[in-house]
Amino acid sequence: MAATLTSYTRRRILAVCMLTIVAVVVWTWQRRLAISLHPTAMATGLALITTCILLAVFNSRKKLPFLPLLRAATWTQFHIYAGWFSVLLFLLHTGFRLPNGSFETLLASVFALVALSGVFGLYLSRSLPARLTRHGENVIYERIPALRAKLQREVEALVLKSVEETKSSTIADFYAARLKAYFDRPRNFFYYLARNDTPLKNVLGEIRLLERYTNDREHAILAELTECLQAKENLDFQWAGQGLLKYWLFVHIPLTASLLLLGALHGLIALYYVGGIR
Amino acid sequence: MAEPTATISRPQRWDVPFDEKMDAATVDGILGIAPFSRIDAANFPKSTPLRDILLNDTSLRSFRKGEVIVREGDYGNSAFFIIRGSVKVTLGKDAIPAALLGRRETHKKNLLETIGQLWRNPLFPEVRDTARYQAARSAKSRADTAPPIPNGSRSPISRKADTKQTAVFLSDIPAVLKGGTVTLGAGLFFGEIAALGRTPRTATIFAEEPSELLEIRWQGLRELRLRAPEIKQFVDTNYRKYSLENHLRETEYFKDLTPEELKLVADQTRFETYGGFDWHTDYKKNKDINPVERLRGEPVIAEQGQYANGLILIRAGFARLSQKYNHGERTVSYLARGQMFGFEEIAHNWRAKDSVSLRHTLRALGYVDVLVVPTSVVEQYVLPKIAAARLPALIETKSEPENLASPLEQVSGKLPTDFVEFLVDNRFINGRATMLIDLERCTRCDDCVRACAAGHDNNPRFVRHGQQLGSYMVATACMHCLDPVCMIGCPTGAISRDSAGGQVVINDITCIGCSTCANSCPYNNIQMVEIRDARGEQLLDQEKKPVTKAAKCDLCLEQPAGPACVRACPHDALTRLNIRDTETLAAWLQR
Repeated sequence: MAATLTSYTRRRILAVCMLTIVAVVVWTWQRRLAISLHPTAMATGLALITTCILLAVFNSRKKLPFLPLLRAATWTQFHIYAGWFSVLLFLLHTGFRLPNGSFETLLASVFALVALSGVFGLYLSRSLPARLTRHGENVIYERIPALRAKLQREVEALVLKSVEETKSSTIADFYAARLKAYFDRPRNFFYYLARNDTPLKNVLGEIRLLERYTNDREHAILAELTECLQAKENLDFQWAGQGLLKYWLFVHIPLTASLLLLGALHGLIALYYVGGIR
Repeated sequence: MAEPTATISRPQRWDVPFDEKMDAATVDGILGIAPFSRIDAANFPKSTPLRDILLNDTSLRSFRKGEVIVREGDYGNSAFFIIRGSVKVTLGKDAIPAALLGRRETHKKNLLETIGQLWRNPLFPEVRDTARYQAARSAKSRADTAPPIPNGSRSPISRKADTKQTAVFLSDIPAVLKGGTVTLGAGLFFGEIAALGRTPRTATIFAEEPSELLEIRWQGLRELRLRAPEIKQFVDTNYRKYSLENHLRETEYFKDLTPEELKLVADQTRFETYGGFDWHTDYKKNKDINPVERLRGEPVIAEQGQYANGLILIRAGFARLSQKYNHGERTVSYLARGQMFGFEEIAHNWRAKDSVSLRHTLRALGYVDVLVVPTSVVEQYVLPKIAAARLPALIETKSEPENLASPLEQVSGKLPTDFVEFLVDNRFINGRATMLIDLERCTRCDDCVRACAAGHDNNPRFVRHGQQLGSYMVATACMHCLDPVCMIGCPTGAISRDSAGGQVVINDITCIGCSTCANSCPYNNIQMVEIRDARGEQLLDQEKKPVTKAAKCDLCLEQPAGPACVRACPHDALTRLNIRDTETLAAWLQR
């Protein structure tokens, strides 16, 4: 059976097994402390803040690519499973209860947001690349505005050609009324994320409607226009997907920084009240 | 009156000769020695006359006793002709311990230097230390004004050979040698296979006594072979006499032959060459043609269905292994230097009662140099020496033939057919460190690009974009090719192989920004970059034109941790692979 498993599956099974073992050990340790009437909050809190710091160090590792500090892929695996482990530690630390003080509520909320944004990022990084690859031509994110502008120029040239060659304004009118805004900037961000292609279908339907008002030459131009629309749709999809893959980190990382600050403050307050830093 | 426009003379092939000290008298001396004396100068075109080839593409060098001339494993761009003295060719792999060969090690940054990049890296892209260029120029002008070397009269050539190059000596030769040697005397060539095939040297060669050698850079040797059949014949005869046996001895199934048997085999081995040497120009031209037409254009070395007339050993270049599939042909695999074709069929026919014909067609992909050992010779001398357990299994002639399987079928541990076709059609089989990206895992985060830029003048040395098959992309990054055609035509030798690892590297000091390498690279993996000084100001030449340099991936040779792109990828989406290592490649695709 092992031969049929991919290396990724084997890696995942191994990591989940290790995480389960560590979770059971920590859980048992926490229960033993509680049974022997030791304060568990201090121990779990310390473990939690240490785990959070280790998780946050991943971003610093990314800034030092030339140092021999293990491969980033290894760090990612650690980040994912240590992230799940931190959720368990958090639950043990809070005693599976909702916090009641305002500071604790803020801290717990920030932790929850960091964890959720992390899970969301993991989901995006495992689902979006395949969709982006299968959807159409792969383009570099930074080149998309230039490609969109080039496409718009091509479409405008096509529209002018239709007026010059056919002496008819049907396509030009349609462009001015419906397409100009479509080509001006990225469109339909949320539709793409929801895997909904209604906007493209709608505009292609409108192009089909125009065919009754156009001659053969215009039909050919409309066919070219359809290709441009599909190219624009791919650019928009790539823009939305790649943008999301890049910018979710702009939520996750600042929240992590806030969490570390609030966590450190929470630790200091806790230490103060247990007499550790008086 | 119109203002006169500034003009510059167009750079020419011989603007920078191989050896500036070569002169007409030395050329006369060379032309007095056989086989050069037999060359008919009339066969050479006016643009590349024989005398100019010898004047510009050769260098006279002298070696002292024990001095290493070429080292096994090094990549060389020239061949040698022995004018006076003799040299010894070591036999067998690693005949001399690597530590004694004085191989230059690439400087790797230590931990402090690595960390120091954090604050030492300039803020602007492509910043260069202009003092280094200045220092190199001063050194050259000092060499140019040095007093001339006095003439000697010990050799047929009046000019004394250059002895100023850094030398490596083998002091106690019998003690350091692990295997035997072959002596080559005056009037013989060596090193031409590595020079013309852009392949590593197969043996270490050192001077047996004080010797004088004519070093011919490969561009000149190619012209000589092309225009002077005497030279080609002479080189091939020499190769057959002195190197072929050595080559065969290192081939798996020929190892157990006695020296006498090996000589008999070598005597009957044929040399055959297919395709053009400058394959990259045809490749670029025919890149987008129909695959069927492309296949038709590739010269057939051996055809499926024919009797296996001989064992084909690939000496240089690449070959496509294909098999008929209904009305077309599908590529099964690709062969390169050191691999053989037809052995299974020959071994089967020798042992079994029935006989099989060739099961595949072998086609030349660009330039291919092969050795053909006739079947009768293989049957007489080679097969009887191989233990039954080492012989390939008999070919199942009655079972379902392999060629009826669908090309779309995925076989565990093997490369999918479409991927093989993709690699061969695009000549990615040339890659020794090809950057492959799994687009179903790549989140387009560009961490690989940033990591590359961090180690290379703030400018990434690759583009995360390229040819794609399904979800796999071959990025626009130097592949450190087995046959690096980018080296063809570099006037200063700035682009060369790292002598130890074989990585293709650019010497920024000697690069003159002529773009020849960038234009030659069939994969567009070399970029020309405009350089800046420490203040970020663009550097201009005397004519106020930006100074450019060729830039490409160097596999982070100087970084202690290896290629930063691979290490920076957080999702295991990027790898650098030798495309000839099909096992690792298949495992990576089927992760």
